[in-house]
Amino acid sequence: MIGQQIINGVTLGSVYAMVAVALTLSIGVLNFLNFSIPGLFMIGGMALWALLDAGIPWPLAVVGALVIAVAASLMVERFTWRWLRGAPHFVPLVSSMAFLLLFEHIAIAYWGSDMRVVPEAFSGGDWRIAGLVIGIPQLMGLLCSIALVAGLSWLLASTRTGRALRTIAEDPDTALLLGVDINRVVSVVFIVAGLFTALAGILFAINYRQVHPFMGEAVGLKGISAMIIGGMGNIWGSIVGGLIIGTTEVFAISYFGADFVDLAVFGLLLAILILRPTGLFRGMQPVRFGI
Amino acid sequence: MTDTSILRLDCIHKNFGGVNVIDDLSFEVQRGSRTALIGPNGAGKTTVFNLISGVFFPDSGSIFVGENDITGIKSGTRIRHGIARTFQNVRLMPHLSTLENVILGQHSRNRGWLGALQPVNLLPGNRWCEEARAGLADAGLGDYERASVGSLPYGVQRRIELVRALMAQPKLLLLDEPAAGLNAAETEELQIHLFKLCQSGDLTLLVVEHDMHFVGALCEAAVVLSFGRKIAEGTPDAVRDNPDVQEVYLGKSASPVSAASEKKEGDRASQRA
Amino acid sequence: MSGYFEGVLVLLAINVVFAYGAYLPLAAGQLNLGIAGFAAVGAYGSAYLSDTFAIHPILAIPIGAMFAGLIALLVAVPVLRTRGIYLALATFAVGQIVRAAILNLEFLGGAAGYPVSAFVGLPVVLGFALAVIVVVMVLFATRFGIALRAVQDDERVADLMGVEVRGFQMAAFILGAAVAGIGGGLYAHHFSYIEAQYFNIGLSISIVLYVLLGGTQTAWGPLIGATVFTLLPELLRGSASLRYVVFAAGVIVLMALRPQGLLTRATIQRLFDWRNPPIPGVPMASGRGQ
Repeated sequence: MIGQQIINGVTLGSVYAMVAVALTLSIGVLNFLNFSIPGLFMIGGMALWALLDAGIPWPLAVVGALVIAVAASLMVERFTWRWLRGAPHFVPLVSSMAFLLLFEHIAIAYWGSDMRVVPEAFSGGDWRIAGLVIGIPQLMGLLCSIALVAGLSWLLASTRTGRALRTIAEDPDTALLLGVDINRVVSVVFIVAGLFTALAGILFAINYRQVHPFMGEAVGLKGISAMIIGGMGNIWGSIVGGLIIGTTEVFAISYFGADFVDLAVFGLLLAILILRPTGLFRGMQPVRFGI
Repeated sequence: MTDTSILRLDCIHKNFGGVNVIDDLSFEVQRGSRTALIGPNGAGKTTVFNLISGVFFPDSGSIFVGENDITGIKSGTRIRHGIARTFQNVRLMPHLSTLENVILGQHSRNRGWLGALQPVNLLPGNRWCEEARAGLADAGLGDYERASVGSLPYGVQRRIELVRALMAQPKLLLLDEPAAGLNAAETEELQIHLFKLCQSGDLTLLVVEHDMHFVGALCEAAVVLSFGRKIAEGTPDAVRDNPDVQEVYLGKSASPVSAASEKKEGDRASQRA
Repeated sequence: MSGYFEGVLVLLAINVVFAYGAYLPLAAGQLNLGIAGFAAVGAYGSAYLSDTFAIHPILAIPIGAMFAGLIALLVAVPVLRTRGIYLALATFAVGQIVRAAILNLEFLGGAAGYPVSAFVGLPVVLGFALAVIVVVMVLFATRFGIALRAVQDDERVADLMGVEVRGFQMAAFILGAAVAGIGGGLYAHHFSYIEAQYFNIGLSISIVLYVLLGGTQTAWGPLIGATVFTLLPELLRGSASLRYVVFAAGVIVLMALRPQGLLTRATIQRLFDWRNPPIPGVPMASGRGQ
């Protein structure tokens, strides 16, 4: 029973982890808390359902959902980071919150606010090992997130773009002086954020087979918690944070009931913010914005 | 210490990232005097101001105001010991009106929550408000009362900052390059104004300035810093003739420092603050 | 007065009260993303009092607001140790915890919601809103209000002026929570039913948006922001979600074109202060930068 719960927790946790990675990349490089990410998560899940509903085959639907989400993410970039550089620090935050509202309510206008059921992706594909049930989607989700994060780490560590990103993270002005094409490099951040978040949304849709316009909020909020627990700006920390939140949630549900989950998760978040704001793993220093 | 000194620095050390910015600095400022703190680029003058006003704490040494040791006192309460200051690059509150900025200057004289909740800027005739308006009028700034300070010329902003500092009714006023950015006429006006302020003998000025004519005309004492150490002390004329001082400024012409480079140093220092 | 018009007016008044609750800490440079949580405390607190002890709503609502202030006082010391984005997230966590706690409290109805039998009509709602506006306006003419805005502009210099920065920030945070609690109490007693889900992060975000859209530089900003962005969507005949789309798009465009908010000091000066026209040749402060 405990083994099964750990598996379920890790599955859920890998979804949170990918959202947290998208958030932490944005914070770490751009010092920008991108509140539109829960919206991108929802777009990933709902676009997948809509495309499948329109009779488009699975692989194309997945690619289509990713493309839509990345396009949405680039639109966010255009109206938050790019346009508003040098504005007061809360302005991009506010605009990204508005994008969350915008995405959610466009989704409602198009698809209604009902819960939608996503068809089963892999029929008859459960592995049973020593009494534990592991779904193929679960396994795929885990592998996907590990592969993506490994890829991101490689991108940051070994490529030209990665070096440029790290320079911007250190000091945007220096990056400009060094001739870094900030607009191009920053769009990479938004593309990666869109990709990770949407894929998390797709995996969520495949695993739990339900999508609705507000599906991003709860997951996004837990992604934020995961990011902070792992240390803002620390990518591998976000993965661990996501897994902690995921397993905490699964255990809290089975021992205390579903209503208790938020209390546990956000209590943990508050405690960490107050006691150890840099997170469990060293992220960036708690910086003051604006001054 | 002599009982005529209002400020005494005693063997102050301050180190930033392995660099001794202030190195065993001791000097006294006489009550009611106008004292200048001068020195070349990077000598640590603004750091001394930041130490006196409590922005930084010294690594070792003590600071006395009158009889009181204020070394360990938090920055926010030092103004209640009679220390007010201005800033090298004017730091008025851009989103307050001129009058509100000046009223803010009275803050340290306010006592308790009831005082803080008195609507000082609502109805005309309030004691505090009238005092602030009178302060502005005295400085010839009455026309700018309701203007938002961000829109005012630099010279006017400097004068407002001085009025704001005076509102605390300080015993010791630290002026960080009060004449920077002012034209010749404005500088002379400022010097006369400062002279007047000190006539009653209640106010002591400590001035960081690189305009030696200004210092010579205003101040009766000067302390010279170089690389965080005191190298000379005395009347402005005596200090100027001191061989050590001349050596520090050697090759830089008689009028000590180029204003531009000095300004840059200060900007960086205040950014650090 | 038609029922529709009355409904809009009530909504407007409550939104204005909420907006001032978020504005007080923002005026001191603190973003409170847990404002809906404090509104919930005020709503549930006052509803419980009027329901269980038959206290008149006009009395129960301020007491509920004091509950909200009390909760804010309890969390203020640890939460206000954090800064910037960490403060925003800590307040957000507080809001979520309050909501989650209510869901788990059986005597408050849990997930089923809480029916409120006492009712306050439009006049009472407007009266409370007006009182909040007047109190905040007066507050901003006091030394406390001036110092708060000084803290937002330049915390270091405010400290050197002798402003008790931490104390004032705490006071603004607690007072803002209490004001939000009044809004919650009004909501509970006008709509006769409350549920924890209403006080979600979406509400907090909307409230903060009203304030930032109106502009934080003057005490009129929240009033303007809440009014424009409550009434504007009402002008649209259409589904609720379409109104939200327009609201959100409006926010994005406004932030891009005028990040300092609709109303700034400079605007007010230009509009109302004919005695001190802008000095020729000197550009007005754009109000950029916080």
